[in-house]
This record gives sequence, structure tokens and C-alpha cells, in this order.
Amino acid sequence: MREQPLKEVTQLIHAIKMGLVEGSYSITNKTLDIFKYIIMSKSWQSADALMQIVRAQSRIMQAALPQETVTSNIARRILKLTREEFDLLQAKVQHFADDSQASLSLHKLVTQTSENSVSVDYSIPQQGLREALLDHLQEVETELETSSENISVQAEEHIHSSEIILTLGHSRSVENFLKRAIKKRQFLTIIVAECAPACRGHNLAATLANEKNVEIIAIPDAAIFAMMSRVNKVIIGTHSVLANGGLRAACGAYTVALAAKHYSVPVIVLAPMYKLSPLHLCEQDAFNMVGCAEDVINYDSLPARDAKVYSPKFDYVPPELVTLFISNTGGHAPSYVYRLLTELYHPEDLEL
Amino acid sequence: MSQFQKEIVQAVLIADNNVWNFKPLSDEGSTALLPLVNVSMLDYALIALNRSGVEEVFVYASLYLQDIRQHIKQGIATFASWSFKMTVHVIGGEGCRCFGDAMRDLDAKALIRGNFILLGADTVTNADLRPVLEQHKRTAKFDKGAAATLIFKEASSSCGRTGNELLIAMDKQSSRLHYHQRLRMHHKEGRYQLPLDIFLSNACVTLHHNLLDPQIAIGSPSMLSLFSDNFDFQTRDDFVRGLLINEELLDSRIYVSLLPPAQYAHKVNNWLSYQLVSRDIISRWAYPLVPDMGVYKLQQQYVFYKDNIYKSHSANVSKVALQENVVVQAGSHVACGTTISCSVIGANCRIGKNCQLNNVFLMANVTIEDNCQLRHCVIGPDAVIHERCVIEAGCVLGPKCVLPANTKLANTLVTSSPNTQRSEENETVELDAIGPKAYIVSDVTTGDPDDSDDDEQLLPSTTTLSIPKMCEIQAVANDASDYSYSSDDDDEESRVATPLPDDTNIFLSEVIDSLTRGFREKSKPEFLILEINSSRYAYNMSLKEVNFNVVKAVFGMESIIEPANNNVLVAINAAFKQLGPVVSNYIKSEDAMIDCLKALEDICEENELVREKISQVVHYLYDKDFVSEDAIHAWYEQLDPTEQPTLRQSLAKLVEWLNQSSEEDDDDDDDDDDDDE
Repeated sequence: MREQPLKEVTQLIHAIKMGLVEGSYSITNKTLDIFKYIIMSKSWQSADALMQIVRAQSRIMQAALPQETVTSNIARRILKLTREEFDLLQAKVQHFADDSQASLSLHKLVTQTSENSVSVDYSIPQQGLREALLDHLQEVETELETSSENISVQAEEHIHSSEIILTLGHSRSVENFLKRAIKKRQFLTIIVAECAPACRGHNLAATLANEKNVEIIAIPDAAIFAMMSRVNKVIIGTHSVLANGGLRAACGAYTVALAAKHYSVPVIVLAPMYKLSPLHLCEQDAFNMVGCAEDVINYDSLPARDAKVYSPKFDYVPPELVTLFISNTGGHAPSYVYRLLTELYHPEDLEL
Repeated sequence: MSQFQKEIVQAVLIADNNVWNFKPLSDEGSTALLPLVNVSMLDYALIALNRSGVEEVFVYASLYLQDIRQHIKQGIATFASWSFKMTVHVIGGEGCRCFGDAMRDLDAKALIRGNFILLGADTVTNADLRPVLEQHKRTAKFDKGAAATLIFKEASSSCGRTGNELLIAMDKQSSRLHYHQRLRMHHKEGRYQLPLDIFLSNACVTLHHNLLDPQIAIGSPSMLSLFSDNFDFQTRDDFVRGLLINEELLDSRIYVSLLPPAQYAHKVNNWLSYQLVSRDIISRWAYPLVPDMGVYKLQQQYVFYKDNIYKSHSANVSKVALQENVVVQAGSHVACGTTISCSVIGANCRIGKNCQLNNVFLMANVTIEDNCQLRHCVIGPDAVIHERCVIEAGCVLGPKCVLPANTKLANTLVTSSPNTQRSEENETVELDAIGPKAYIVSDVTTGDPDDSDDDEQLLPSTTTLSIPKMCEIQAVANDASDYSYSSDDDDEESRVATPLPDDTNIFLSEVIDSLTRGFREKSKPEFLILEINSSRYAYNMSLKEVNFNVVKAVFGMESIIEPANNNVLVAINAAFKQLGPVVSNYIKSEDAMIDCLKALEDICEENELVREKISQVVHYLYDKDFVSEDAIHAWYEQLDPTEQPTLRQSLAKLVEWLNQSSEEDDDDDDDDDDDDE
């Protein structure tokens, strides 16, 4: 833990703390830029050294911003990439040395790496690793950029004409998703719960109201249950997806999910792949982030003297209340999240 | 050069402003570095500035300059939140004794290039000062003499006073400050005295009596030069007062801005406000300046549990021990059986078994042994408290104190060595020893706050009498009854004649002097008129006031107040013979005559002799054509029969006579007409 943070890392942390960088997409993007900068820099010679640096910086970010899991997720992606590229290059070298296995079949590659994974020595300097990594990083960047679009493309599969949709707060993925649906389908009714105390739902309702052929209703959070009986589908965004398929979502999401469960309304969660975190909900108290007490009750009011005031930012939504995840790669059931995680991250990187 | 490119936002932080209030901890280190919920107060101020987009800060320190410089250097090394996009300079000097000196020094060094934010190092705020700065710039564009914008926060009336409360009068439209008064600590004002000309010269005045002064201001460059020009300005209050009194002379004005309700701001200038602000930070009113946001260090230091408990990962505390509103810093150890509530525990503290801590503020490396009871106290760094000590409300233990076992303390200040006492008179003060490393500091604030309240009224000049201490903070729930009581009080008071503002009194006495001298020396009336007019312009009196006061002055002359043989009419006659032209110079119009009669009304209340002869006096004035018949009628109508029954009675005859005579006149006219026919 004694590593010194890079200047870029401290600046990013500061910017996030000050609220200059907001939303998980921009945080992910900025983090990716930092790791790209690390890969391009000459400070590492072997894959092992690179992985050390990435781990250290990611640990610093995690310690400073424990609630922003996307930074660690992207670090895990980088680590996994490094391992893969290194293995690939090693395999190529071995093949050239060993002529008996001239053809480089996919099957062999997979079996070879999984066999060798335990004994691979990453500290050997590897020619061409930097270039290969940068190439691959380009793919990750493109995936990140198109993730929101890829999700919204699936809108017409899930939303049909003259349906009533309920959403909560203001998520950028949900906004794009609904805009797409409004364009493709007719006579939609969209109910937006305001999500107090920040009331970002008002913004979403305002932006959606600019579209044609759609009815927008903004409701207070207290009316969620009352409206739920009429709703066909609930579509919400999330802050992150936990390893069991549960959500850490904006405060109020649990209310929505429970009401939906009561009326058997399907709950669809839009979650791009970078929001999948290999974390479990263990420490209930540290899970949440508590905001300003002033949002809930006036400082000058008499009860404020003795009352303990909480204004939590997040809700935990258990996986059984979620019907479907829509990511940029398609739809998945909550029970399938563990499988996605093993594909996304290397098992050794789960603990940074 | 960089200053030609873009105007950067600058700020000035004044440290070590109120050293006396934080004894004995202020004896060995800067008060700006005093930890408040385990983060030094300077850091809170710096973060507040950073959040407001300030790019360059000058920390002005007088004592302990090196300590503060060291702290800033360390903060930058540990990536404190404020070290981004903000450069911090520590300046100061030995010669700097007060706030005013700091401002003069800044002016001499010419470091400030534009409008700047001025903050005390002891201010805790989460307010965004950018809009206020913009507002100030706009005002400055409109009014070249705008010297400063003071920022205040509305406070609830339900909590006790910490000495930062004040009363202001401001213009509602332009938010210009007209009046500024600090409220006293242990005192509930039944009434406030405001100069009358605030209301006379301004159309729309708002009074705010529930404001907190968080010591934030936006200053124009002219503010610094004003300090240089007026070397008697010691504090910011001096500056405000000086500017308000000599508004015309200095051609500078002060504006006011109130923070919106969602933004927190408070000043920590004594132990009571220290306790209050600590509580507010812990219960997240000052968000995002809360312990678990990593305010000072890059890493998060605490995990937030329910009941507002902030615990460091490396603190060894069972959950049972922490009841509510507790912050436990890294490396601390609390043994079983101990309960802690509403407290702050610094780094590496050790607390023994079966202790009870309530509203206790421990700084780093404090050791408390078994079976101690602590309430509402502050324990300095490296102090040791041995077994079975009982420390009650208001105690402050200095750094490295060692309290022997079984000590009982209440409301005392304890220091570790006998030599650190810094007395204001530089006398060597004998300190009572309660242990080899514990000496009681001779306490200036003896007894309850209620007692000192009485003292305060007797000796209003000594400010040290009322250093507030920690105590149980009680919400004032029975306010309503208090108010109704005090409002009754007000009604009674208001019936008594309101005291005149100072200027009017001085003007009146000067006119009396002039007239007395003129009367005695028989000088020409023109000279007297000239004298009165020059006094009028000196004190900026309106015409109405002059009319009123000249008549009052004539009757206020010694020869009329104490006439020979008690014959007041003869005295009046003599006076008016000589001074008649002076009076008639002013009393010309109908309105002026009514003013004159109103002055008489006033004189009646003061002078018994005149009161007895009032009808004769009025008649005399009527005879000599000073007042007209219509004016007397109008004045008589205005007299309230319930308030001045005697006056009305004595005048009734005269008025009747006047009516009759006017009818007669009419009759005469008719007669004349008849004659013509």
C-alpha cells in the first residue's frame, strides 16, 4: 500500500470528489485513459511490472473512492488483457520454436493457456506486448463508446406500442433506450419517478418530453406503488451490478422493485458490461454512501438537534427482484451474471 | 506575465485570530492547526476555498508561522484535497498583532490583484462562494465605492449563542449594509437600539436579528487600502463600524449576502462553537465536509456505520462501545465495558475499561485509564489521565498533561507546565498544581455563565470574562413564552419618549449655545441664523428637524428654564424680543408652524413652568404672528385626548376663543358688507 499515486490518478480522484466528473460512463472513460497512459509509458519492461503498477494505482483509487467500483472493474479488464496478450505472444514464440504444432488452432490456444496459467512467468520481457496491448485497448475503448448505443438498439425487442413504462431517476442508458423506443413505437406512456432528494427524474422527464408521440408523467416517489398496477414494464439503470446479480442502484430502486414484484411487473435493468463488479454484499454498513442531512430536514428545525438524519444514495436490490439485465452484449438473467464475470475477469484478479 | 492573461481567483486566510479563547491548547501551537473531528481547522477552510474555485491562497499567520508552513507542505505531500489546482502561500510577520495589521501588510506587499475572498482559518463551510463573488463584482461595477460584501448565514433561534450572532440592518433592494451590531453571549436582548436616520434616509430597510457571522467576506482591492489609510482599524468589526460611520467621508460602502439555507457555514472561535461544529460535521450537516469523505487525505479514513459512527479500519473498538455520533481515528484502542457517545477520538488513543465518555474530544495519543468518567471536555495531545478520574463539563487539558488518579475536575483549564501561562499583563501567575504535570490555569471565567452575565453588565469592557465553554447544548423549546414576555416589555418601554439620535442632540445643544450667547451679547439675528445654518449642514439636519429644534432651543435657554421670579412669560417675552427675527426666519410656512407647536408640545413635557402657562404661550406666539390660527387648529386636532388630556384642556379655552374671534371677524365682514349696502 506504500505506492505513490500518479499525478493523473490524484487529479481524477479530486475531480470525482468535487463532482467535476460525474456518471459511471465518464469515470470509466477517464480511468481507461489513465491506464492507456500507463501502458504507453516506458516505466515497465515486463508484463509483471505492468500488472504491479495497474494494481497499485487501482488500489489507491479504490481506497479513495470505495463506492466507485467501475475504476476497479476497468483495472481488472486491463489485467486480464495483459495476461491474454502475454500468453498469446508466448504461445506464438513456442510455436515457432516447436514446429510440430504448426497450426495455431483456437482449441489448442484455449487448452494451452488454461493448463499453463498456474506456471506462467510474467516477469519475462516480451517483445511486442506494448503494441498488442494498445491494439486491444482500442477495442475496449470502442466497446465502451458503443455500449450505450448497443443497449438502446435492443429497445424495440423489449418495448412495444402503447405500453406503459416506469423508470426512476435519470440514467443516461435509460434515456437513450427510451428515446429509441419512442422513435420506433407509438402511443407509449412513460412514468418517471422523481427520485428525491436530488429529483433527477425531473431532468429525464423534461428531456423525454421533447420527443413526439409520447406521454410523460413525472410522479413523486411515494406514488410508485399506486402507479405500478398500470405499468407494463419497469426499466431502470444501476450504479453497479454485484457478483450475485443484485444491484447497487439509486435510492428508491428497491421500492420500485418490490412494487413491481407485488404486481408481477417485469423489471429490466440496463447495465453495460463495465458495471459488472465481482463483489459481494458483505458489509451492509459500508455498502452505502450517505449524503447531506440538509436534503432531508432543515438544519434550523427543532428535531434536527437530536435526530440522526440519513440521506442514503443507494439501495440494494436483491437478484430475485430483477427479471433481466440488458448489457451491450445482449440480455442476461441475474443468475447468469457469475458466468459473465468469469468471462470478463481473470480469477486471480478478483482481489486487486 | 500571468496576471495579464486571466484574472485568477485569490483568497486570504487569516490564522491565529482568536488565540485567547482556546487556552491552554493555543499556548503551544497554532489554533488553525487544532484538529476538529481529526482534521485541522485550516484544512476545512482551504477545502472550502478550493471548492469555490479559488486558485491562489495566502495564509496569513502571525504566531507559529513555521508550524503552518510545515503543515501546508505535508498536506501537499499527502495529496490533501485542497492541493489540487490551488497554490497556497504562507506569509506573515512578527509585527503583525491583529487582523488589521495583516490587511495592511497585504496591501504593502501588493499581492492581491483583484476582488478576493477573505476567510478566517477557523471557518467551516460547504458553501459555494462563486455566486457571491460574481454578485460582488456586479455590485462593484455599479458602485465604485463597494469595499466589501459580508456573507452571513441565517441561524435558528432554537440553539444557544456562541458569540457569533449579530443584528444587521440592510437595504432590501441593493443589499447595502446600514447597521451592524454583535449580540452578546449570555444575554437575551429585550430591545435593540437602532439609529433613526437608517429609517429616515432609506425607503426599504430589512432587519435581521438571527444571523451568524461565519467570518467570510469578499473584499475589493479598496478594502486593503482602506485598512492602510485608517491605521486604527484593528479587526473586521472596526472596519465595518468605521465604514458605516464615515460612509460619506471614505466614500465606501459595504454590502451583504446571505447564504441559501442548504449551505452550511460556521465559525469555530471558542470551545462551545467547537463542540457545536463537531456535532454538525458528525451528523453530516456540513456535507461533503464529513469524516468519511476523505477531506484531508487522499484515502478514505473511516467506514460509516449507522448512528453516525465513523470508525477507522485499524481502530480496535468493539461495536458495543460506540453508542452514537462517534469518530474513532486509526490506531485507537478501546477496552471492553467502556461506552462512548458524541465524541471524537484522535489517532492512537488508548481508553481503559469501564470508562464513560460523553461529548469528549480526544486529540492524538491520549491515554485514559480504567474507570474514568469524562463529560464535555477537551483533552490535548499526549495527555494521560489515570484511574478513576472524573472530569466534568468545561474542562480543557493541555498537551502532555498527566492527571493523577482519583482527580475530580470541573470547569477548569489544565496545563502541563507552570511556565506556559501567557498572561496579558505579563505578570507571572502562580499556578495551582494538582500533579507533577498538571497545573490549573488561573481561570478568568469563574462560575456559571449566568454569574458572568451579571459581571458583564458591571464591567462591559473586559471581554475575557465570557469565554464560552462546552456544556450540554439544549434546544430552547420554551421560546414562545420568552417572546411573549419580552414583547410586553417592549410595549411599556415604547411609551417612554424614544431617545433622540446622537446627531440631533448635538445639533440641539449647539443651537441652544448659539442662541444663549446671542441673547446675552445681543448679537445681530443674521449672524445667529448663519451660525444655526452652518450647524445644520454639519449635522445634516432636514428642514423639519431644524424648525423643530430651533423652537426647542429657544425654550431650552437657561433664562426660560430657570426664569427670574418664576415668571416664565416675562422671560419668554424678553427672549422673543431679541430672537424673534431668528425664529420667524425659520417658521414661515404652515408646516413649519405646526413643527413649532409640536416642539412646544415636547417642551411642555420637560418644562413644568411652560406647561402651566401653555395657553398663554401659544396665545403670545399667535399675537406676535409666529403661528397662524389655522396652524393652531390643525395642531389642536392632532393632539390625542387620551395621551395629553391636560394639554388639550388648557388649550381648549384658547381654541374656543380663537373660534369665536374668527366668527366675530366673519361677522365683522358681514357687518361691513351690510354697511356697504
